[in-house]
Amino acid sequence: MGVMSRGIRDAFRNGARTLSIILILALSIAMSLVMLLALKTVDAKINSVKSSIGNTISVSPAGLRGFEGSGTLLTTQDATETKALAHVTSVVETLTGRLTTIGSNSSSFFGGQSNNSSNAQTSLSAPPRQEPSGGNSNGRRFVINGQFVPGGSFSMPITALGINDFSDLSALNASSFTIISGVKIDPTSSGDAAMVGKSLASENNLSVGKTFTAYGKTITVDGIFDAGNTFANDMIILPLSTEQNLSGNTGQIDSMIVTVDSVDNLSSVAAAITDKLGSSSVDVTTSQDQINSAVTSLQNIKTISTYSLIGSLVAGSMIILLTMVMIVRERRREIGVLKAIGGSNIKIVAQFVSEALCLTLVSSVIGMILGMAFSNPVLQALVNNNSSPENGGMRNFGGGPGGAILRFSNGAGSALRNIHAVVGWDIILYGLLAAIIVAIIGSAIPSFLISKVQPAEVMRAE
Amino acid sequence: MLKVENLVKIFSSEDNKVTAVDGVSLEVPNGVFSTIVGKSGSGKSTLLSLLGALDKPSSGKIEVDGEEVTKMRDSKLIKYRRDKIGFIFQNYNLIPNLTALENVMIPMEFAGISKTKRIKRAEELLDEVGLNSSKQNRRPSRLSGGEQQRVAIARALANKPKLILADEPTGNLDSATGKIIIDLLHDLARRENTTILAVTHDIGIAKQAKITFTLRDGKLVNQPV
Repeated sequence: MGVMSRGIRDAFRNGARTLSIILILALSIAMSLVMLLALKTVDAKINSVKSSIGNTISVSPAGLRGFEGSGTLLTTQDATETKALAHVTSVVETLTGRLTTIGSNSSSFFGGQSNNSSNAQTSLSAPPRQEPSGGNSNGRRFVINGQFVPGGSFSMPITALGINDFSDLSALNASSFTIISGVKIDPTSSGDAAMVGKSLASENNLSVGKTFTAYGKTITVDGIFDAGNTFANDMIILPLSTEQNLSGNTGQIDSMIVTVDSVDNLSSVAAAITDKLGSSSVDVTTSQDQINSAVTSLQNIKTISTYSLIGSLVAGSMIILLTMVMIVRERRREIGVLKAIGGSNIKIVAQFVSEALCLTLVSSVIGMILGMAFSNPVLQALVNNNSSPENGGMRNFGGGPGGAILRFSNGAGSALRNIHAVVGWDIILYGLLAAIIVAIIGSAIPSFLISKVQPAEVMRAE
Repeated sequence: MLKVENLVKIFSSEDNKVTAVDGVSLEVPNGVFSTIVGKSGSGKSTLLSLLGALDKPSSGKIEVDGEEVTKMRDSKLIKYRRDKIGFIFQNYNLIPNLTALENVMIPMEFAGISKTKRIKRAEELLDEVGLNSSKQNRRPSRLSGGEQQRVAIARALANKPKLILADEPTGNLDSATGKIIIDLLHDLARRENTTILAVTHDIGIAKQAKITFTLRDGKLVNQPV
């Protein structure tokens, strides 16, 4: 029997006490592992969010958010001047109108700030949004100002997006954009052609080549698209000039998506746009701002995880430290015997360190199993406690022109929704390493105490 | 040969000084069974601690086989305790979660003897002290006091020491078992040419010793009887 095996046997000398120590230590190690996983997962997510949002700047009229607020629309001249700024690689211009179904009363519920046309009506009807559960299947109901309202003759307004370039789809809040039938319209033309979202097309039995009326004009369906989200799939997309002409906003736009050559130049270009167009005229939002908003919650989780990780490691070290101090104090006489019969400090310390290591490793295995089982629930609890619309949660309604709010939701919301901890070998190795460090730290003071025990201790009476 | 010259041990506290061993000088030839007698507090156990290098004297000299123990550094003292000294204690001081065999093997493990040799020698020693093989794999709690003391004697003999120091080896045993243990020690001293110095209260045991030292208030009050 060697020093190591004696240490391992000593670890299980007192069954009840060993079980208690292992359970407490396992909980502490599980906590450390969960926090380490959370830290790693959140870190990866922050990097992913940062890389996914990109190097764009959103410019919209000051005071205008979605279909709310008011402001003077921007002009294509503003876009031209913006495009001329240093480091700007492209500018996507959009104008968004809201069309009401002919004969419906939706305009009494929804204002139309960006729509200057008194003829903003369409032959289309919007797909209804039904009450999610418990609703009356015989009548459609709508959520307006937070309350369910019976449908009746009411129908949702339809968004008509005029766009001059498809290079940046963020105005659609679309991570993907697929033409499922027909072709893409030419966004630079001024023809009376449109692309229709698949939900809207389905609701109105539209197919490629069919027509509908908007702003009193007959529009031909050139294509049907799927933008991957309900809001965009209820839209029609027109060439920018067409939307401008039909809505009576010729030469005007309500949003610019400005792409910059490098993330490093975002702030300087944003400042240049504000200078050029006037801070009282435009609201400028960089993707850097969106990144900051998106990762605020993640940073909070990271901070909590870091402190909890340190706390649980300290707790683990303290548990093993106090356990070993208690064991050494109890076994002073035995240590004295070992010294009296020729045991060196190194050998006796090694025996106690192997005892601490054994306790810690057994606890680590249990702690890791617990940690793996609880990492995702704990991570989700952390996410839920740290997400709100203000710091990165989803906003479900009121997006629209500009797309800044929509894109914001896309980055931050999905950052929090799609977060999952994955246990890899590296985490297991880190866990074992942490356990060994905890055991060594926990054995340091007891080892010092062992070295101070005099062999003459053995001669003292019980 | 154990040779002690003018050995002094003083325990000091803030306001008190106690001279536990006061100028003790003695000699014990090799292979002799000798005893130290004296009342409680006379310094017998302290003297034994000093001889076994469990504690350091305030002054004086201890020589075992010509080697001066009092001048040894700590690392050499460990070696001295391991190779030259065997301890037997009144309350046996066996490691409770190890078997009798494993307890006897520990000093040999510290001396770096291979496992096979350790097992063989431990079994021989336990046989020699009269602990049969059926009891060799028992833990101390499952052995009687006399059997535990036999294990302690076997452990003390494990590294073939020159000097065995026994502190009240029969103090916790009934008189019949105590006599068996003393006979065993006596026999070992003769057979292995090992010097044995035992501290005892028992005058009967002291009478069996070739040399008996009497301690009073830390001083030797008589020369060898």
